[in-house]
Amino acid sequence: MATTSSKSTETTESIDLMAHLMRRAGFGADRDDLERRAAKGYEATVEELLNPEGARADRELFLRYHPGFRRPVTSPGMGGSAWLYDMMHTELPLEEKMVLFWHQIFATGQSKVDHWHELIAQVDMFREMGMGNYRDMLVALAQNPAMIYWLDNCDNHETGVNENWGRELLELFSMGVGNYSEEDVYECSRAFTGWTIATVPPRNYYSRFDWSFEYQDEDHDYGEKTFLGETGDFNGEDIIDIICRQPATAEFIARHLYNFFVADEPQVPAWSVTPPRDPEAIDLLAKTFTESNYDIRSVLRVLFLSDFFKNARYTKIKSPAEVVVGTLRLVGQDKLPPPGIGDMSKQAGYMGQELLNPPSVEGWHTGVEWINSGSLMKRINFVADMLGDTSKPGVKRIVDRLQAQGNLGPEEMVDRCLELVGPVKAGAATLQQLVEHATQSGELTWDTEKDTAESTAKVGELLQLIASVKEFQYC
Amino acid sequence: MASVFLGINDRTFTYESTAARAEHVGAGVRYPIDFAITQDDIAYILNRGREDRPDGTRLTVFKLGEDGEEYISTFGSHGEDPGQFIWPMCIALDKDTNVYVTDEWLNRITKYNKDGEYISHWGTHGFRDGEIDRPAGIAIGQDDTLYIVDSRNNRVQKFDLDGKFLGKFGSAGSADGQFNLPWGMCLGGEDNVFVADWRNDRVQSFTSDGKWLASFGTPGTGGDTTNARVKGGITYSDAPVGQFNRPTGVCVDQDGDIYVADWLNNRVQVLTPEGRFITEFTGDGHLSNMGIAKLRSNPDMIKQRNGIQNFTPERVLWAPCAVRIARNNRVIIADTTRHRFQIYRKNAEPVLV
Repeated sequence: MATTSSKSTETTESIDLMAHLMRRAGFGADRDDLERRAAKGYEATVEELLNPEGARADRELFLRYHPGFRRPVTSPGMGGSAWLYDMMHTELPLEEKMVLFWHQIFATGQSKVDHWHELIAQVDMFREMGMGNYRDMLVALAQNPAMIYWLDNCDNHETGVNENWGRELLELFSMGVGNYSEEDVYECSRAFTGWTIATVPPRNYYSRFDWSFEYQDEDHDYGEKTFLGETGDFNGEDIIDIICRQPATAEFIARHLYNFFVADEPQVPAWSVTPPRDPEAIDLLAKTFTESNYDIRSVLRVLFLSDFFKNARYTKIKSPAEVVVGTLRLVGQDKLPPPGIGDMSKQAGYMGQELLNPPSVEGWHTGVEWINSGSLMKRINFVADMLGDTSKPGVKRIVDRLQAQGNLGPEEMVDRCLELVGPVKAGAATLQQLVEHATQSGELTWDTEKDTAESTAKVGELLQLIASVKEFQYC
Repeated sequence: MASVFLGINDRTFTYESTAARAEHVGAGVRYPIDFAITQDDIAYILNRGREDRPDGTRLTVFKLGEDGEEYISTFGSHGEDPGQFIWPMCIALDKDTNVYVTDEWLNRITKYNKDGEYISHWGTHGFRDGEIDRPAGIAIGQDDTLYIVDSRNNRVQKFDLDGKFLGKFGSAGSADGQFNLPWGMCLGGEDNVFVADWRNDRVQSFTSDGKWLASFGTPGTGGDTTNARVKGGITYSDAPVGQFNRPTGVCVDQDGDIYVADWLNNRVQVLTPEGRFITEFTGDGHLSNMGIAKLRSNPDMIKQRNGIQNFTPERVLWAPCAVRIARNNRVIIADTTRHRFQIYRKNAEPVLV
């Protein structure tokens, strides 16, 4: 008996740890997936996430049924539909999670770009490069048409420097405030003169035309520049090389990764005056970043295998995108995209995170700032609507698993449901409330068709209630 | 794989004009996904629209004549009521110019008269004989047999004009005679059936009884992809002729030449009846008459165009979904994502190329 009990505890722990990994490195996983991954092992799963062999969502299939999203022009929220579809159906969850990570840091928005297609092209770039070399991605970012327009580098000329891109590159994309001078900003910006967008016909009644990067040699400032103590005829790539060599860059990216995957840090503007909550963790990640020649995959491997990551369960508040995508993946969706995906893509925005349209280049304020009375209601209502729909395949699977366990009393019913939608770790007060509800609704029985129908409805109600508890908002 | 046609080519084409412009309502089109055209140049155009602008999901009727386009009327709308549709996909006309529209979401075929008045609809979702799952291509034979691409069931089904099941052929797979999410279709001489086998990147032909005849094209985007660009999650490259990247529409002219809307290669390919490559249309779009009228009423648009040296992006086809033959050897392409039609003419006299 002692052996069985010990094995059971071990299994619970491995499932719990795997669920933690999949919530952070992906968008959660259902019980079947967790058990499969737990059997495979934690380290093997980390490696699989880092070097995945599955398939991305089929964008062609999406466009077959939604051709209108190929050029969604100015429609609020609709342009994010393709990305939502990607997140819902990818078999490479970490790759897609890294897209979300970089979108939060290199925040670029429709409010100014006014060209969904170019924003989708930018997140596609994050997908291709997000786990690769940071230096290469910064170069791609500097040449990304949406970013060029977003931060006015198309107005950065040899004869008139515009510092917007140069400033944000240093302040928000690489080093952080306090690690460079105003002179560095100016010199950095000079190096990116001539990095612009090729002229295309203006938008008209045939819709819009793709943007593309263009280097205008005649508009580049070839004069000598002094940047972060180094002097030379620097072009943009030289500047990025210098930036990547700075210890501040390694620490900045390490802190972002920690904030996104491990535990909530203060908002970015406070980083220059507030030390990290775990300086040793930041040092380890920064060291790996530098020693791996800025390889993000290497840093992620160290992060996911660390004790500080494994011990950080249920300490982060889910972002709206995590709430929406995690819920949609849990309840299951047909791979053939149905009508209504445009409305679905707006849901995260209702909760305070309108994808592809951040409030500013600083991205969203995260952690507890995700929650206010309005956004909390949106979160609860969305998840409750989904989990309460027992016709959805993922909810059906939950009911099937419960049915396979036979008749269940209130406490068992609550315990199993919390396990199957997370696991969610409920505190004593929450548990008591859930059990009280389950007691009132009665035990789950499956003896007759009527019993099964009633029990299925009870499960739906309990899942809705679970969606409303405080603990459900944490990952 | 098709080879390039060299030598005396008696099949040459000349760009004729561009027609229509983007409008959700009124005189225009929005994501024209398919169309059918009568012998007197009346085009019934199926506008898929966008789901955030359901008013753009409709049928518009234009005259697409040699002297330019003329808007006539609109009928049908977004919804589930009789005469409405959610995902209109393909269209066909019978001998009386009744209009038949497939709806992929509602799994039904809706019939209107030539004036756009609703007549009836039918269709049952499923996989058994006579049931349909996401109907796409549609065509009507000389004997009034209605052929439907039953896309998720990976087959073609035959019905009479009132929806009575007559037969079927095809199954899921990539072997000869099998399909993978087929899309558009047409009928050639002797009512031979041509199907755009979308996910197998080929066109297949069959007799009217469903006997497999031929496959044209090879799967894959092909070409040297080292310089390919990725945009919107789709990889574009200069694919060799004879290769298709998700073909959507097909039609056959009176000589038996085959025209294929090569969706993600942004072109229409022309093949001989044996499948040899003749030419490709990548687009020559200019301002349509309706486009010029729009510019004239919007001087800011004219101002913005001043100084533009390169109008190539405005010329090229962008994900065309359908191609049809009109009278006088006119080849009309639904330039779906540009919300317009590009029209070519097949020359009557041989030309040395």
